[in-house]
Amino acid sequence: MTNQVGRLYSVALGLFVFFLTWVAIGARPWVASGSQSDPRLAALEKREQRVRRQSVVVQRLVNRRWATYRAQLRQRQSQIAAASQAQAAAAQAPPVRVVSLPPVTSTRTS
Amino acid sequence: MMESRRFKAMGTEIELFVDAAGADEALDAAEREFHRLEATLTRFRPESELSRLNEERSLEVGPDLLEVVRLALEARGRTDGRFDPTVHDAVVGAGYDRTFEELPEESTAVVVGWVCGGSVRIDGSRIELGPDVRLDLGGIGKGYAAERAAELISAAGPALVNAGGDIAVHGGSWPVGVETAEGELTLELTGGGLATSGRDRRRWRRNGKELHHLIDPATGAPSPSDLLRLTVVASDAVEAEVWAKALYIAGEGEAVREADMRGMPCVLVTADGRTRLAGGLS
Repeated sequence: MTNQVGRLYSVALGLFVFFLTWVAIGARPWVASGSQSDPRLAALEKREQRVRRQSVVVQRLVNRRWATYRAQLRQRQSQIAAASQAQAAAAQAPPVRVVSLPPVTSTRTS
Repeated sequence: MMESRRFKAMGTEIELFVDAAGADEALDAAEREFHRLEATLTRFRPESELSRLNEERSLEVGPDLLEVVRLALEARGRTDGRFDPTVHDAVVGAGYDRTFEELPEESTAVVVGWVCGGSVRIDGSRIELGPDVRLDLGGIGKGYAAERAAELISAAGPALVNAGGDIAVHGGSWPVGVETAEGELTLELTGGGLATSGRDRRRWRRNGKELHHLIDPATGAPSPSDLLRLTVVASDAVEAEVWAKALYIAGEGEAVREADMRGMPCVLVTADGRTRLAGGLS
């Protein structure tokens, strides 16, 4: 009986030690401590952050310029439309009709 | 009471009409304006501003030459290049190298075709011509002068100016004769302009071949259009001159289609002797 209880405790202790080891290995403490200490990775991270900040600035600039371009395009399109209307109105031939009156003057090949 | 005056300028007969009495001052001013513009725009006088531009390639010019070149370049765009002020070398190459009065009717001179459509840049009051580009503003210059003269005369009363077929009307109602294959047709104009382009007058022969002054800029040679003559009514004499030339070069079918589409009254006389009305004219 005593031997059985002792075995049970031994098995339980073995399982406990096994899971404890598993958790300890699964946490991979050597990876974290290693990456923090590598200066190349730290530099890369810094550079990534700088590039991200720059891309945000560039994106803002592009958005601002795109908005300016769109506004200018709308203005230019409205100017072209107005000019086209004016030109169409200007190009409109005056009313003319065939009559049977004697002509004051005549046109000919110029 | 109508007053009129006739004189020669720009190589053609000019007629001024005004529906008012005592308009001598206005008629004098209009006549002076024609001579002034001729001295600026002609290609036949080496001292004209246009000749100096053609010679020097880049020149600060006065407001009239600047405006006519601007109008001509705009017209080049509007007519898809069928009207083009850069036809100078092509016209000269075809033999029209002096005033029409001095031009021999027949000669054996070699006819040379030229490429047209070169670059002309306007920068402020400076005009710059591209390589081998020279300008001929003969037709459009007459239309411009007719408009300026009509404007001056209209201070005295309703006016009509006829610059060798390019007509500008400022006010009033004027019956104007148009020659057709069957006789003369009369159109009543109450404003705007009218112009006729054709190969029935300014033509000559070189090595037995008949040539004329209406150059197709696409080929740099006299246009082989199936039209003899075409008359256009438009918003002013400059516009009428531009479209008369462009539609003549386009030929009968395209000219009728485009005149109808633009609502531009036209009288067409075909080379085979038919008369067609287009652009709402009936």
